[in-house]
Amino acid sequence: MRLALLEMRRAKLRFGLLAGAVSLLIFLVLFLSTLSGALIESFTGAIKNLDANVLVYSDTARDNIQGSRLSPTIVAQVATVPGVAAAGGIATTTTSAVLPDGKGDLALFGFTPGQPGAPSGLTDGRLPSAANETAVDAPGATIGSTMTLLPSNIELQVVGILTGAQFNAAPTAYVDLPSYQAAIKATNPNAPFIPLNAVAVATDAGSDPATVAQTITDTVPGTTGYTVSTAVSKIPGVASVSQTFGILVGLTFIISIVVIGFFFLILTVQKLRVFTLLRASGASPARLAGSVVFQITAVVVLASAIAVLLVWGALKGASSGIPVSLDPALVVVTVLAVWLFSLGAGLLSIRRIRSIDPATAAGAR
Amino acid sequence: MTTHQPATSAANETKAILEVADVTKTYGEGHTQVTAIANASLQVQQGQFVSLLGPSGSGKTTLISMIGGLLTPTSGTIRLGNEVISSMSKKELTRLRAERVGFVFQSSNLVPFLTARENLLYVASLPKNHDRKAAAKRADNLLAELGLSERANNVPEKLSGGERQRVAIGRALMNDPDLVLVDEPTAALDTALGRQVVELLAREVKQRGKTGIMVTHDLRMVEYTDEVFEILDGKLTKSTGNAALAVH
Repeated sequence: MRLALLEMRRAKLRFGLLAGAVSLLIFLVLFLSTLSGALIESFTGAIKNLDANVLVYSDTARDNIQGSRLSPTIVAQVATVPGVAAAGGIATTTTSAVLPDGKGDLALFGFTPGQPGAPSGLTDGRLPSAANETAVDAPGATIGSTMTLLPSNIELQVVGILTGAQFNAAPTAYVDLPSYQAAIKATNPNAPFIPLNAVAVATDAGSDPATVAQTITDTVPGTTGYTVSTAVSKIPGVASVSQTFGILVGLTFIISIVVIGFFFLILTVQKLRVFTLLRASGASPARLAGSVVFQITAVVVLASAIAVLLVWGALKGASSGIPVSLDPALVVVTVLAVWLFSLGAGLLSIRRIRSIDPATAAGAR
Repeated sequence: MTTHQPATSAANETKAILEVADVTKTYGEGHTQVTAIANASLQVQQGQFVSLLGPSGSGKTTLISMIGGLLTPTSGTIRLGNEVISSMSKKELTRLRAERVGFVFQSSNLVPFLTARENLLYVASLPKNHDRKAAAKRADNLLAELGLSERANNVPEKLSGGERQRVAIGRALMNDPDLVLVDEPTAALDTALGRQVVELLAREVKQRGKTGIMVTHDLRMVEYTDEVFEILDGKLTKSTGNAALAVH
């Protein structure tokens, strides 16, 4: 290892430039992954973090909760399906509202307190339990603050703060179903009833949610059951956003691995004479390969540290409506993946070292 | 753990530290087979510094490479002390080179990103169970003996050709090897500097009780050696006097 360290000390510019280049690539991987995760979370958080295993839509919904229309009586039917422990209706709409940080769009969700379909991710306060109380995921909202639904001018009092509960990248407010229905009625006084958009289901312990979802589809006419993860993946735009970011992240990742692999291969080829000399002097191939592994590790660690600082700075400096934060688990997984794949790319160098014939040091071949 | 095969040689009585017996090295097969060394035999005693003289392509480097464990002979036996080099595995040969053989190659061949002192210390770190403190002291002593104390912290590109070759000699002696093999040490040096380097080599080998073999095609350098072996077209003979050398 000392050989590797001394070489790096004497070639600070060379290794510094590599670490700089790799850090920019890791920065891109982390930044794009974080952005993609935050974007998808802001589109799907409300569904993903519902307190339920299965969601039931109308069979004409085209996999979209907002396109689903269910009669309130369907909840009781779903509750009788084998494997269903409890069921609760959910209704949602997008409306205008006066929010703590100004007028804007709001995703309004109605649910039945105590039944499946309540939001999770409460960071402060409590879930609503009375009329016109709300738990929100909205910038600037605090316990005790209010927001006004438009055009009904119904005022909601914030009793709980949620995180990861946004829908369609808009602030989200959760109220009990009667409050939700009252808000809709205020703008549609002639509506015979306020339909539900979905039924949230908690399955029995030991029941497979996918099986229960299929049973609901098969036994409750006019419905389609989904596990929550399936419902999330079918939200319009999620798959294409995931795929687009996935391609960008994947390409950046591959480029960073190729850069590291080629750099060390070039370095190894440049140092073949030195490696041959050291093999002739009694250095084992494993020892020389160890110096390459050490240098790859050092470069990845240094580059990762720089990249994390860059991402932290970029997220701090960037101002968007989407809550974005760097996930330590993402950093660990990304750095480990870059390191492992870089070692894989380093195998080209190690293979070259292993093939060195020490006799060539003396020119005997 | 390496296995050491006991040597079975009648020459044990003479206490030859190095014994090369009937060694042949061929390359290729069938019609393309080339014999680089044919039935070479020699013995070198401890403390002797001998030269191996021959023109380019005669097989000098092949022979010295087999003696140093860089190449394995096609047939024959090479023994260094109580170890039979010729039948060792690659791993054992690597260990042998680290512990018992010191090389001085043509044009010095130092690690360019290590200082003179670090070049010595790296070689010292190769054998198992090496003592760092002792190695540091030995490196400093060697550099002082070679007149390089002031240049110890310079990388090779900051050293002159003669200084680089002296560092290479220090590196060869660093692990207190039984055998020092020197391949054309004066190839990149002018005559005066070449003489100085070979004189230094001969002195160091003898003072330390090592066994040295120097490959050269420069007749002027053999005066510093105890015995001269000639090699021509792969055939090794012991030189009997200046008349024999005159052919070169």
